[in-house]
Amino acid sequence: MSLLVDDLKVYYRTLAGDVHALDGATFSLADGEIMGLAGESGCGKSTLGNSLIRFDARMRYVGGHVTIDGTELPVWDTDAMNAFRFKTVSIVPQYAMSALNPTRKIGDLIDDLLRAHGMNPKKERPELRRRLELVGLDPAVLGLFPMELSGGMKQRTVMVISTLLNPSVLIADEITSALDVSTQKAVGETLVGFRDRGFVTSLIVITHDLSILYQIADTILIMYAGHLAEKASNETIISSPRHPYTKALISSLPEVGIRYAEKRLTGIPGTPPGLLHPPAGCRFHDRCPLASAKCLEKPPFVEVDDGHFVACWEET
Amino acid sequence: MTSSGRVVEPPDLVSVLEPPVEPDAKHMSGFRETLHFALRNRKLVFGLSVTLAMLLLALIGPLIASHPPLEYGGKLSWAPTTKDGYWFGTTLLGQDVFSQFVTGLRLLFVVGALGGGIAAAIGMIVGFTAGYRGGLVDDILNMITNVVLVIPTFALLLVIAAYLQVRGIVTEAVFIGLTSWPWAARALRAQTFSLVSRDFVDMARMSGRGSRQIIFKEIAPNMSSYLFMMFILLFGGAVLIAATLDFIGLGPSGTISLGMMMQLSVQSAALQLHLWWWFVPPGLAIMVVVGSLYVMNVGLDEVFNPKLREL
Repeated sequence: MSLLVDDLKVYYRTLAGDVHALDGATFSLADGEIMGLAGESGCGKSTLGNSLIRFDARMRYVGGHVTIDGTELPVWDTDAMNAFRFKTVSIVPQYAMSALNPTRKIGDLIDDLLRAHGMNPKKERPELRRRLELVGLDPAVLGLFPMELSGGMKQRTVMVISTLLNPSVLIADEITSALDVSTQKAVGETLVGFRDRGFVTSLIVITHDLSILYQIADTILIMYAGHLAEKASNETIISSPRHPYTKALISSLPEVGIRYAEKRLTGIPGTPPGLLHPPAGCRFHDRCPLASAKCLEKPPFVEVDDGHFVACWEET
Repeated sequence: MTSSGRVVEPPDLVSVLEPPVEPDAKHMSGFRETLHFALRNRKLVFGLSVTLAMLLLALIGPLIASHPPLEYGGKLSWAPTTKDGYWFGTTLLGQDVFSQFVTGLRLLFVVGALGGGIAAAIGMIVGFTAGYRGGLVDDILNMITNVVLVIPTFALLLVIAAYLQVRGIVTEAVFIGLTSWPWAARALRAQTFSLVSRDFVDMARMSGRGSRQIIFKEIAPNMSSYLFMMFILLFGGAVLIAATLDFIGLGPSGTISLGMMMQLSVQSAALQLHLWWWFVPPGLAIMVVVGSLYVMNVGLDEVFNPKLREL
């Protein structure tokens, strides 16, 4: 198990009170696993990703543990985390296009980064070049300013930088959302390539696009309103989901080759609950067709089948 | 695409000297590239040459002046002449204007560099810290800045200058430096605030780099022209405050500055007596130095910001 997250709770501080953005996440990530993390906007997937690497000023650590390769990460301590960032856990941020300092050359930036982690930039140069070539970039980009690169080139550069120290866990946060489909596919394949070559041990791919996850992920974790809903292998989630929210989510995706002339594609009625004062129990219960009185109690996230976890009273 | 367009530069000395060993080496090192663009920028070259010329005059002028600046040796009120080395003429009391002028020019650079330097250093420390740390640290630093900002600086300087028996140029410069930093601190704080929320700073934080490194390597380069402009403005401000203090008779004792020259010429009714050589050079020198620094600043903006560069 490269990553173990145990009952992680992260709230956002606001004047009106705490926003329960991530309320008790427990899951594990096997070595070499590519886990997709999906859910609608505001369900806490980015909060989960960020809390593994850096808490921003508004985020408050409430409880829980994060363990990577047997070492517990001090996620609540911004300074102590510096030793783990990029080496143990790394991120390809949502904003790859603007992640590079416009006034500094890419090579200088990478040298600084390596020095900050106590490495010799000169020794790492050949490996850096090899990896740039691997993603189809001319090593000459090291002498260029970020504005001299196209958006796709910047994205690939950031991906190489993020994985340069061979992190155990890489978080890819919405990295395909601003790209056209063919570039999306290339980025997805690059991530898989990184995993296959051992540049990263395991990956968490955060997205709301289930189709890209279906192509690259081994497992998919579905979140809803700050709770984990279901985790299972990619095939299982798509073909035989068991949580009512996952079922509704999958059935609202259009499929190629099927005509919806007679039958309208159904969405999920209602809206997700506000997380400032979240409802008790299962947070999906007021939109759920199967809801019963029991749903006012929080359902446990239990293994119902081999590697298939569901948080629903109907399934336990 | 872009890479090829960038590598092929007009063959100049810099790229000819660079041995093409590895792909990276085709690109000039950071300093060389800055120099390359700096030397092509006319505004910068003009401002820098004028400033350096004045600095040179300030450095060697007192050595080649024929008479000590405060000596009453010459004929009274001579117009500029080559005779006896009174190149800029003499004052009403027979002092060598050229000698006074170059001595005053020296003091101008001392006051500007020291006063501007101290103010810039304090402004940078306070501004960066407040902007980067935020929260309580920012509140406290901002309060101090505002307190210093609302102190009637000039009145304070007047009191201090009048209170001190012996006044040196260094004391004057230090006091100017200690009172003129607040606007710089506030401006830097605001700039830092806006840069701290940029994505690349967030990325740098997520990559596990220390605060000092982020401030100096990620944030500061994005406002290097701004920092230089701040120093130039503080330099110019210190020069002007010093000239004002000197002009009302609170200048350093035992020497002569450009402001004091203007004070003495006004007291001696030089304007009415048409002794233009007495008050024009000091006024012109202050204008030329401050003005050329401003021109230089505009040029530097184009050098530091890769987006404004013309290839």
